[in-house]
Order: sequence, then C-alpha cells, then structure tokens
Amino acid sequence: MAIVAAVVAALFHFVPGLPTYYVRVIDTVLIYLLLAIGLNMVVGYAGLLDLGFVAFYAIGAYSYAILASGQFGIHLPFGLILIIGGALAGVAGVLLGIPVLRLRGDYLAIVTLGFGEIVRLLMNNLVWMTNGPQGISRIDQPFLFGFALKTPRDFFLLLLPLVLVALMLAWRLECSILGLGWAAIREDQDAARGIGINTTLVKLLAFGLSATLGGFAGVIFAGFQRFVDPVSFGFWESLTIVLIIVIGGVGNLVGVVVGAAVLIIVPELLREYSEYRMLLYGCALVVMILVRPGGIVGRRYNPAWIIQKLGWR
Amino acid sequence: MTGFLIQQLVNALTIGAIYALIALGYTMVYGVLRLINFAHSEMFMVGGHVAFFLLAATASLAGGPIGVLVMFAVFVATFVAVGLLGVGIEAAAYRPLRHASRLAPMLSALGVAIILQNVVMLFVSRRPLPFPPFLPAVSFKVFGAVVTLNQIFIVAFAVALMLALAWFVNTTTLGVKIRAVSENPQTAQLLGININMPISLIFFIGPGLGALAGTLYASYYGIVVFSMGFIVGLKAFIAAILGGIGSIPGAMLGGFMLGLLETFGAGLLPMLTHGLIGSEYRDVFAFSVLVLVLIFRPAGFLGEAVTEEGMVYKRDF
Amino acid sequence: MTLRFEGLTKRFGSLVAIDAVDLTFEPGKITSIIGPNGAGKSTLINMCAGSYKVTDGRILLDGVELQRLKKHQIAGHGVARTYQNIRLFDGMTVQQNLEVCLFSSYFGRTFAEVFVPGMSRRLKSERAALCRDALARFGLARFADALAADLSYGNQKLLEIARATMLEPKVLMLDEPAAGLNHGETDCLKETLRSLVPADRVVIIVEHDMSLVMTLSDHIFVLHQGRLLFEGTPAQVQANLAVQEAYLGSPGDVDDIRDAARSRANRVRLRADADIERRGLASV
Repeated sequence: MAIVAAVVAALFHFVPGLPTYYVRVIDTVLIYLLLAIGLNMVVGYAGLLDLGFVAFYAIGAYSYAILASGQFGIHLPFGLILIIGGALAGVAGVLLGIPVLRLRGDYLAIVTLGFGEIVRLLMNNLVWMTNGPQGISRIDQPFLFGFALKTPRDFFLLLLPLVLVALMLAWRLECSILGLGWAAIREDQDAARGIGINTTLVKLLAFGLSATLGGFAGVIFAGFQRFVDPVSFGFWESLTIVLIIVIGGVGNLVGVVVGAAVLIIVPELLREYSEYRMLLYGCALVVMILVRPGGIVGRRYNPAWIIQKLGWR
Repeated sequence: MTGFLIQQLVNALTIGAIYALIALGYTMVYGVLRLINFAHSEMFMVGGHVAFFLLAATASLAGGPIGVLVMFAVFVATFVAVGLLGVGIEAAAYRPLRHASRLAPMLSALGVAIILQNVVMLFVSRRPLPFPPFLPAVSFKVFGAVVTLNQIFIVAFAVALMLALAWFVNTTTLGVKIRAVSENPQTAQLLGININMPISLIFFIGPGLGALAGTLYASYYGIVVFSMGFIVGLKAFIAAILGGIGSIPGAMLGGFMLGLLETFGAGLLPMLTHGLIGSEYRDVFAFSVLVLVLIFRPAGFLGEAVTEEGMVYKRDF
Repeated sequence: MTLRFEGLTKRFGSLVAIDAVDLTFEPGKITSIIGPNGAGKSTLINMCAGSYKVTDGRILLDGVELQRLKKHQIAGHGVARTYQNIRLFDGMTVQQNLEVCLFSSYFGRTFAEVFVPGMSRRLKSERAALCRDALARFGLARFADALAADLSYGNQKLLEIARATMLEPKVLMLDEPAAGLNHGETDCLKETLRSLVPADRVVIIVEHDMSLVMTLSDHIFVLHQGRLLFEGTPAQVQANLAVQEAYLGSPGDVDDIRDAARSRANRVRLRADADIERRGLASV
C-alpha cells in the first residue's frame, strides 16, 4: 500500500516539473487511457468488439464545444458539462446498444463501425450545430473549483487522479458479481442465459458505462485542445483505442495501461517516422493476433497479481 | 422528369455494378470462413493502382493510345496479380487463425487492411493519380438523360463477369466444390473435399473481381488514391449483407440494390425535404441501411435466416 | 408442485420433432426420458429450458406458463439444466463457475459492492461460502481455484451438475449425464444423483445408459419419433413389448443394447482420458 502511495506521490511531484512537451505527451496518454479503460469494459470484460467507440468521445467533446463557446453563446461551467457530456454519451451508448446487442460478434463490429461513421458524418454535416468541417474553435477555458485549467500541467493534475479513480472503479467492477456476469457472457452467452443472467441488460450496462467514460474523456479533450473538428473523431481513433486494448492486453487493466503507454509514447519517440505510425500499428496488430492474441501483458498479470506482489492483501 | 429519373437509374446501375463485383468477394469469403474480410476493400484499391501502372507502362511502350486487346490484357494481368495477393494474404494472415476465436481473423484482416493502405500511401503515392479512361468520351442521349459509353461498358463488363462466375460455380466441378465449401465447410470436409484449395481459389477470384471493380471505378472517376477502398468497400459489404451474405446471387442483387437505394435516396432526399437533407447524406443513408437490415433481417434478401438453433457456439475472443 | 407439458409440439420447418406430447413430472422423483436417437429427448429439454422456441403447446410449472418466456426468465423460475456436450465457462475457475450462478441474487447490490468500502469483501466471502458448500457436496473442493477447462472429464460433468443445483432449482434437467463416464464414475454419479432429489424438486434425466436409467428412475417416459410410446416404472418398461421392439430390440437383446451403449460411452471416455494424458493432468 505504501509503495503504491509513494509511486503516486512521486508522479504528482515530479511530472509537473518536466518540460511542457513531456507533460503534454503524458496528458495524451492519460486521456487515451481513460478511453481505453472504458472500451475495455465492452471489449475485454463483456467480449463485444465495438469499432465505433469514437462516437461517444465525439459526443462528449462536442458537448463541451457547443455548451462552452461562441457557437451559441452558451457558457456553462466545465464541471457541469462533464456531467452532461458523460450522461449524453451514456444515453447514446444505451440507445445504440438496444437494437444492436442481439447481433453476433462480427456483425456487431460492423454495425458499431457504421454508427461511429454516422456520428462523424453528422458532426461534419450538421453545420448549424457543429460548424461542420471547420470545427468549433475558441472554446472556453475550463475552470474547476475556481482553478483555471490552462497548461498541460493543470490538466495533468486533473487527469491523473481521474485515471486512478477510473482504474480503481474498473477493477472493483471486474471483481464484482457484474464482472463475473460479463465474464460468463464472454465465455458462453447462451449458457450464461441458462443460469439466469439477463444478458441484454448486462451487455447494455457495459455499453452504457463505457460510453459514459468515453464522454468524460471527450469533454476533457475539448477543454484541453480548445478546438474540435470532425477529423479527430474518425474510424482511426476508434481503431487506436481498440489497438491499445488488443495489443496491450485484452480484459486486463495492467495491459491497458501498458498498451496506452506503448501506443502513444513509442510514436512520439519515433517522431521522424510519424508517417509510418499507422503502418506500424497495422503490423503490430497482425503480428499480435497471430503470435500473442492475448496482448503483450498476459491475463495472469492483472491487478490481482500486482496487488499480490505488493503484499497488499 | 423522365430524363432525371433515367439519369439516376443509369448512375445507379453503374455504381451498383461496381458494388456487386466487390460484394462477391466479401460474400464468398464470409460464406466459407465466416470472416468479414476487411482487407478486401484494399484489394479494390490495389487493383486500381496495379491497373494504373500497367496502363502507364503499356502506353509508354506503345507510344500512344492502346488497343482493345492490350486493354483486356491489362485487365487479366490485374486480376491475376491481385488474385495472387489475395491467396498470399489468406495463407499468411488467415489460415493460421482458422481455429482461433471468431474475431481473431477479423482483427487480422483489419491489420492487413491498414498495412496495405499505408504501404500504398507511403511507397506509391500519397496524392491521387490520374487514371486514363479506357474508352473515348462518347455519350448518348436517351430520353433526356446522358449515358456515356464508359457507363455502358462498366455495366456490361460487370454483368459479363458475374455471368461467368455464375456459370463457373454452377457448372464446373471445381466451381461446385467452391459453392459447397462456401455454403457449408464442415459438411464439405466430411464429404472428403479438401477445403484448402477451394478456399485459396475463393481468395483468388474474390480479390481478383474486386481488383477489376477498382479498375472500372478508377476509369469512371478518373483517379486512383490510396484511400479509395475504405468507403466503397464498406458500402459493398453493406450490399453483400443486403442481398444476403454468403449467397453469390445475393451479392449481385445486393450490389445493384444498394446502387439504386443510394442514388435514388440521396438524389431524391433533397427534393423531398426541400433541401433540408442534402445529398451529402448519401453515406449516412448507406450506413443506416446497414443498421436497419442487420437489426430487422440479418439474412438479407436471399440469405438463409440464421436461427438460434442453427448457431454454432464459438468463443468470440 | 408439478411440471406439465401440454400438447407440446416442435417443428423444424416441415420436420415434426415433437408431436403433441403430454407429460407430467412429479417432484421428489427421478423421471427419465429414454428413446432411440432422434426421438426428441434433447429437444424436450431444450424447449423446457428455453433454448428452442415452442411451436405449439404449453409448459406449465406450478401453473406458470414457461413457453413464452425468455431463457433467463425461465431460469429465474427455477429451471436448471446440464448439457450433453459440457458447456462450462472454460476460462473461469471452478469456484467462479459456481459463483456466477449467484448473479441474479447479488446483481442488485453491485453498486454497493463497487462503491461502498468493505462491502466487496463481505459479499465476496458470502458467495465464497456458498460455493464451498456446493463444492464440498460434490467432492470438488480441492479444485476450487483450478480452471474449469483443466478438470478431468468426469469432474467437469460433476461441476456442471453442481452448477445446475447451485440455485436450488425446482426443475433439474440432466442431458446424458453419464455419457463418457467409466464404471467407477458412473457409480459415483448414481450416488450423487440420488442425493439430488429433495421432495420439492423435479429431476429429469435424459439417458442412454440403461443400467443407470433402470437403477435410478422412479418413472420412465419412452419417446419414439416425437411421440410418447410408453410410460411406467423401470420394470414395466422393460417388460413392455412395444418398447422393446422400438428401442430395446427382442428380450434377449437388452443385454446387447446395454453393452453397446456402455462401449460407446467407453470410447468417448477413452478419448477424453487420452486427451487428459496428453495435457499431462492426472485424472481423478
């Protein structure tokens, strides 16, 4: 326990002191980690491949952009929009899930991909609301409890505790009876129904919860960038988040953390080769699936293993 | 008004023919492996590029416009080249995963698609390349609509290819084997058919047809670009589902149907809603069709309804 | 408390698998359903459990109609089953396979389990205690943390039955529980099954292993081509000529049939054992 607290305290102390560029990268890792924790509930826990997760990210981001900028002259506070954006995304997730969750795995993947594209196209074309391809700029600076969130350092101090809380909640969910229900659905959906699990409801919960997290991440992203446009919310974004999970470790929070770090930091290190980023992602995906389909971090090395190693329990 | 409608019809048939050709590749692969071959859209794109380079090479060799025979030679070469690519991809990226979880091959296909698209983008050309038209720019006036020779050629050629495929899978032994494997691989195996060869052949013909579709598309719109596969491929997949995934006639039907739906839907929507919903919503329309079909009739028009009882339980991940 | 099938019919297209069957099951008894392959035995179980849609007829449990309900709702009414080809949650441990059956009762408290400190530990130990009882009853206690996939075939069958009884079901349906078990394991199974029959539970067994059926059953339904051919006590069934013709052959053939059924099961068991050896695991 002491070790964990020490690590967290060290992060809080040292990171803000790093050059702004590094802090920015870490902020990006944290936002993607938030997204990946959300998607991991659907893909890793419940075993449903969602290829359109970026839609919820977009809903969150555009909520902030529309409700806190010159677009309509509305200027709601950041904290309020965080809740609104998360709720909107969550509702969208449930609404999407209702017709779609009865589909088989591969069909589900395609339909969610289609949904992601539909949302992006709507953002692009509903010009009166979203300003179309030009996007919404000069978004309000976020204020939280009186503190201005201006620099990457400020966002780091917001994101790190948020991510830690998200990790903890996700882990507790995974260990709860709901997590067990998700695992059963992932293993054998029909047998799960046979022991009395209402699979539709349980899958909807996964969808809704993950969408809400996606929405939160979107709101924060919009506050961070202070500019949104449809380009940032395409299929490749969904794919990046899926890759973080698949390459890092499916269903394993430790793997998700590793995946986010690897997939964001490595391309930053290889900045001269930034053009090759997607190509490397593609190769990594194929190689991973063929050689190590569980991801870099095996299922065994999950938070329980870490807790055990730290002698916590 | 008639002219407008006929114009839309001609446009619809043209794009529908292209969708149908691509959809055949999706449907055959799905029928046998239950795999959504994401890489197929890139076969379409690669085909367009291969044809581009072959045409450029032959044009420079001939020192002028090329003849009909050479044009067909380019078609054949494109078909074969991309067909072999398809066979190679199947062997390397899908065959090892045949007994893995249900979604593993699909993720592998996704990876292959990303690789292909980026390889072309990085090593061939990032910018669109101008594709020469096959035929002189002749057009006919039909009841007030303008029909180009190119459009007629595309539809005629695509239909000819589809008829050839239909003849092949219904008449020849090899073709019937392919159809058997495509409809029910387990039973085919039990009957002693070695399914590897028909599968490789499916991965030769499907991508080959997709490549030809890419060539036709490129000549119609005048350009090839590394990104042309994604949207068109997705729509062709929607067409395959609409017609009934796994069914070869279904793919043909679905292609034309989607062409009609898309063109008339997007063409008429502005009129019907007085400009409220513009034709930019063409793509949204197509995706909405997908979602609706999969929710209400996943078997499409000609596919078999998959009931709960018929499903084989395999882990998704 | 009774389970009744009234005019139950199942059609697959033009094939009539079950034809207007009327059956009544009494609690506190072991009722077996036997019949040649294709007679529709598993179809009956699948319909009762909700895996197959009922074409016509009713399934009544204590007066409640089950045939229109969804699968998980039927389970919620106290109907549990095992599968002919084992369907455990392979990637989960033995204990988790049992624990997940407690889903319906603990789901409402998920919010508390996640957000209230200390609640998680309390609820988990409650569930663990319930699982330990079940494991002890079936002799699987020492495998609690092993993966379900790593168990021997016989133990997997036991685990399936343990899982089915976890929620104290009113109706327990076992689909060929003895398939693939050797003599020792089958005897063990017989003992276990005898203990599974409290007064308020209907126990239905679909089986081919005649020794098990004749020894354990209180009542037997004989199915043939989707219809009820005969019903009665084991002695009555063995004596009935119509049953013998359709299924058991002539009186002298009963032993042959029994041996054939046993050798078929043995072949399955040998394959399973070879598989276990290959994976380097000890069988029980």
